[in-house]
Amino acid sequence: MISLTTYAFVAMMLFSLGVIGVIARRNIFVIYMSIEMMLNGVNLFLVTFARYHFNMDPQVITVMVIAIAAAEAAIFLSVIILLYRSRKSLDTDVFNILKQGENS
Amino acid sequence: MMADIIFIALAFLAISGAIAMIVYTNPMYSALGVLISMLSVAGMFALLNATFLFLVQIIVYAGAIMTLILFILMFLNIKEEDLPKEPKKFQLIALGAIIMIPLNILILKAVSKLPAKDFSISETDFGDIKPIGMQLYNNWLVAFELISILLLVALIGSVVLAKKRNSKVKNQGDNS
Repeated sequence: MISLTTYAFVAMMLFSLGVIGVIARRNIFVIYMSIEMMLNGVNLFLVTFARYHFNMDPQVITVMVIAIAAAEAAIFLSVIILLYRSRKSLDTDVFNILKQGENS
Repeated sequence: MMADIIFIALAFLAISGAIAMIVYTNPMYSALGVLISMLSVAGMFALLNATFLFLVQIIVYAGAIMTLILFILMFLNIKEEDLPKEPKKFQLIALGAIIMIPLNILILKAVSKLPAKDFSISETDFGDIKPIGMQLYNNWLVAFELISILLLVALIGSVVLAKKRNSKVKNQGDNS
């Protein structure tokens, strides 16, 4: 019953739910967690194909994706703290400091 | 047979954790859903013979990143009225689902055409720490060094960002 397709289904579900979270939510924390969810789906896909082909390379790539996710977490969360301090909000529509033209 | 039952339970938990992340308004509940999902994905790595990645997933994702998110959520002490209003959330979720369905169908059709192989747990040292280390330090050495530089840059960047200062951004925020 366990086959390549079932693992691919779970990985694609995780990836799609991450994309839907980025599209549908405005809370910046949830958007960050959705990005993590997309990375997780891709990791699962890579490890599935590593097992399928009995090849070690995708697992090494997965280790690197996890390292990049850790670096991203540090930067993203410190930026969230700065934005929350200056704007007192978690709404992504409020963060328009870099927008050109009108002064909000 | 045992592996099938474990796989179904892990798949259910992973997908329902992701759905909980999208649906709940409170970011604390969303973070807990993501935590459950990540632990389930770690279990799937174990089923796929990737024992080292199983450990790394639990230690780095569940142990470091999600703990950091939960810590910052508690640290900011967000009230219910500070959360952004999302009146059109479910319409947008439906829109996102409609956007993602064609890609899902395409990939699943492509994958199901591949020849089937046995996915039961094998007794070799595939996925252990030693083969991964051999690959990492022989074929992927440049990428490994670049990753370490990236982590150093991220460390310095977060220290610089968290430093106290009288910047323009802060003044603008106070005015608006």
